[in-house]
Amino acid sequence: MNDDSADHLDQQLQKARRGERAALTLLVQTHQRSVYSLALRMLGTRDLAEDLTQEVFMQMNGNLSAIDSNRHLGFWLRQVTTNRAIDQLRRRARVRMTPLDEETQLFSAEEASDPLLQRHLQALLADLSPPARAVLLLRYQEDLDPLEIARTLEMPLNTVKSHLKRSLESMREKTIGTQPARCEDSPYE
Amino acid sequence: MSKDIESEMRAALRPLAPSEEFSQKLVANVTGRHPAPLEPRRLAPRRRSLAWWLSASLAASVVLVVGVHQHLEQQRLQQSGLEARREVLQALRVTSQKLNLAFEAVKSQSTSLTDDQSGA
Repeated sequence: MNDDSADHLDQQLQKARRGERAALTLLVQTHQRSVYSLALRMLGTRDLAEDLTQEVFMQMNGNLSAIDSNRHLGFWLRQVTTNRAIDQLRRRARVRMTPLDEETQLFSAEEASDPLLQRHLQALLADLSPPARAVLLLRYQEDLDPLEIARTLEMPLNTVKSHLKRSLESMREKTIGTQPARCEDSPYE
Repeated sequence: MSKDIESEMRAALRPLAPSEEFSQKLVANVTGRHPAPLEPRRLAPRRRSLAWWLSASLAASVVLVVGVHQHLEQQRLQQSGLEARREVLQALRVTSQKLNLAFEAVKSQSTSLTDDQSGA
């Protein structure tokens, strides 16, 4: 996002805080992919993801006065989405992730250039603990660095790095079916 | 962990767009373009209030009718009681008068009898 775009979105945020619907619409459209994708990959089903996305944006609408920039809004949305998703997952003793056979429609044809990869990835994500899943998604979907992830999830930086390292090792082990190799060049050690 | 794997992860986990239908519904709900219908719970207090007032009015009417009826009945009984007392008093008065007459009669007879005995 360049400076002009950031400034424009900051102005739209100010307008949305004054109750301008067009500005609020633009903010929702700008951030809905991020929120929806986090919710979908955290919770595993489209219905739950849509419900959570709507809850998060409704909450955002009531908290616009406390948000001072579009960057802050992005941080706030990621934080609320991941925290709510982790809470939902923890409330359930065992989360029933959508079986692969039912996941055909999980990703649209436009987005899923490799549906098999997406389905396999979703299955691997489902095996991670909710916090580890959130860390991985914030790192690779949202492209946040470990420090930003630590701030978003309010967890120690070393815990974030540990989640990243162990999650990637676990996923690679399950993917290639070999013993986890030591990550000598891991950036998270 | 090689950088290639991280790049592949980023590519595989890029954000996904929700369906167009959901996106439109989301915008409409968040911006309030489709105001949600009033929930029954919001109407409930008014309905309860109206029902309460109707019940209260009905109860008050019943109480009023019963009260008036009882008052009239009490007045009727009181009136009939007064009438009965008046009749009793009248009867007592008549009786008393008759007794007095009888007493006077007995007294006069007794006086004349005494005079007769003293004259003899």
